[in-house]
Amino acid sequence: MSDLVPPEAQAMVGEVTSGPVTAEITAKESQRYAQAVDDLNPLYFDEAAAQAAGYRTIICPPTFLDHVVVSGRPLSDLRTDGLFRQPGSPRLAMKRVMFGGQEWDWEAPVHVGDTVTATQRLAGVERKEGSRGPFALVTWETTFVNQDGEVVARCRLQGISR
Amino acid sequence: MNQPYLEDVSVGDELPRVVRRASRAQLFLYSAATWNPHRIHYDADYARVEGHPDVIVHGPLQGAWLTQYVTEWMGPAGRLLRAGWQNRASALPDQDIAFTGRITAVDGDEVSVEVTEEDADGRVLMPASAVVRLPSRG
Repeated sequence: MSDLVPPEAQAMVGEVTSGPVTAEITAKESQRYAQAVDDLNPLYFDEAAAQAAGYRTIICPPTFLDHVVVSGRPLSDLRTDGLFRQPGSPRLAMKRVMFGGQEWDWEAPVHVGDTVTATQRLAGVERKEGSRGPFALVTWETTFVNQDGEVVARCRLQGISR
Repeated sequence: MNQPYLEDVSVGDELPRVVRRASRAQLFLYSAATWNPHRIHYDADYARVEGHPDVIVHGPLQGAWLTQYVTEWMGPAGRLLRAGWQNRASALPDQDIAFTGRITAVDGDEVSVEVTEEDADGRVLMPASAVVRLPSRG
């Protein structure tokens, strides 16, 4: 196998890998996400319930932020595994990509009608030894800022590539 | 929704156990709602090529369930401050997935909880933790 974490990948650490991408939080998309998760919390659907809980209006599910900023892509960008080619991904000698984990900090509520801008940076690429052989642990950090310039959330996403 | 207050909780308290099951239709809808075309979530033949026994449940969907487990418990007046989870093993559709939780720390109005997601064989899929702010009765 060629070098799992080539020097070019290491050199990308700190670079912006996606964004800034701006998206409006719409009730339709937020609620469609909540329904797909099967999370029918009234705070996401019922204006009166949200206001009774101290919110200006309905809010979106906390993890929806990660998805609302995904841009549409042409089918010609699909790889064999179905994932889109990521222009900002480090070029690793990998065949399989798996979800490693996530860490979130939520600093302010995100309401329907808000606008969120996400900027993702490559935070690290490490070679690790696992029980099933070596793998690369890739960490991306995304910061989400609302229309008032306030940081509403930060997310660290880890991916495992073999 | 039930509302727990700071005065009601102590370290060691357990959160109610929740069992859920993802249908293949749910996996499809989640892929669609999140614009996620990864074949391991809808193409069982291809999932086997990547070494999975069947299509698998999206990691971020399990993350959303872990978050939901905590937000349902903390009630509408609770505020979710932080949460994190690690992928240890794959979750499969049409199988029971159990969520359990325990309070590990209370610091001022911030309550830390540890959450475990397990399959029907008791295999830990994603260990997680979260910090929430709970309201006071006063």
